Amino acid sequence: MKTVIKVGLSTLCVWAGAAWSAPITFNTALPVHEGGYVLREQFMYMKIADDPTPAQRDMQVSGVMSVLGYGVTSDFALFGMLPWFDKRLDMNMGGQNITRQKSGVGDLTLFGRYTAYQYDAPGRTLRIAPFLGVKTPTGEDNARDGFGRLPSPVQPGSGSWDALGGAVVTYQTLDFEIDGQLSYKANREANSFQAGDVAELDASLQYRLWPGSLGSGVPAFLYGVLEANLVHSAKDDSGGIADPNSGGTTLFLSPGLQYVTRRWIVEAGVQIPVIQHLNGTALKNNYVLSTGVRINF
Amino acid sequence: MKLKTFTQHIAIALSLILVATGVLAAPLSYQLRVDGLSCPFCAYGIEKKLGAIEGVQSVETNLKDGVVIVTMQDGATLDEAMAKKAVKEAGFSLRKLEPVQSVSEGGRTQ
Repeated sequence: MKTVIKVGLSTLCVWAGAAWSAPITFNTALPVHEGGYVLREQFMYMKIADDPTPAQRDMQVSGVMSVLGYGVTSDFALFGMLPWFDKRLDMNMGGQNITRQKSGVGDLTLFGRYTAYQYDAPGRTLRIAPFLGVKTPTGEDNARDGFGRLPSPVQPGSGSWDALGGAVVTYQTLDFEIDGQLSYKANREANSFQAGDVAELDASLQYRLWPGSLGSGVPAFLYGVLEANLVHSAKDDSGGIADPNSGGTTLFLSPGLQYVTRRWIVEAGVQIPVIQHLNGTALKNNYVLSTGVRINF
Repeated sequence: MKLKTFTQHIAIALSLILVATGVLAAPLSYQLRVDGLSCPFCAYGIEKKLGAIEGVQSVETNLKDGVVIVTMQDGATLDEAMAKKAVKEAGFSLRKLEPVQSVSEGGRTQ
């Protein structure tokens, strides 16, 4: 279960990097203007179930991801991402149904993104931007209930300092945008638990559905979005022993819609796992619903 | 008869002077061809940066043509180096800058 939740939450965390007319589920290489800010608020709901064991575990996570990006220069931008989670785990224990839940602020992630390559032409642009960051243990990681310490997936925070890095490429025209991202998150130990590292390969196509032809000025765009996320998670390590029921690979497909104006964007999408190769009795990810707004200022 | 002709000439001359004065007093505008501008959300940054240049009265973007029209206040001119810097700070590339006939508030070219 830890693995799938970790994969899901990792995916949610990467979502926050995006701040433009851009992918819904990951980052983009498009610029934040120097001295400018972008704010993104993303609301999400994730269901993780299909437990093959008698415990019949069923987990639901709802949350809000707040992202603030700042353009230090036109090439270098800093981002801060802070989630708030409401996690609920229902399970059967000794013939009795129990619920374990916790809500609270999660771990703050900070990262910088540098535009290493930029090619601009009339009505189109190509950019490549590596990024590097750190996840800080700001969320509570030792919450307890009447049954004792909550399991790690139900804790709002991980308690560990983790590193993340990768690169994103964006090709945007007036009609469509394509983004691709390769990222890696190296997790560290906390509370005698170390989540497995996560590697992710993402792709996104955004196609302008409306208006069919552009008039003068700056018209709003309606994009149809189709994304794919290939997420591989290594096995977790608990007390120095690798957990055989953790780690695996999931491929998500994510259709969505975006309405883009000069100052703001509204969007919605659903992330559906189409392939899941998980180790042991790990829970399967059912879906992730997401809706959000982005504001330019 | 001569007096009538003279009066007509004076009237025509005054009209020409008034028209010429009007043209000279019209705010100066510039057409900026900007490369890389390809979505509505990107237009905000370039309008904000160009609008912050001293003497700029208004900024209008035409996304389809990749053109930004910058209209200056009376007597002000747009320095190309400053325009290039503003476009760069917005994250885009200035291909070309050229003065154009300004557009009045009513939308007519003067």
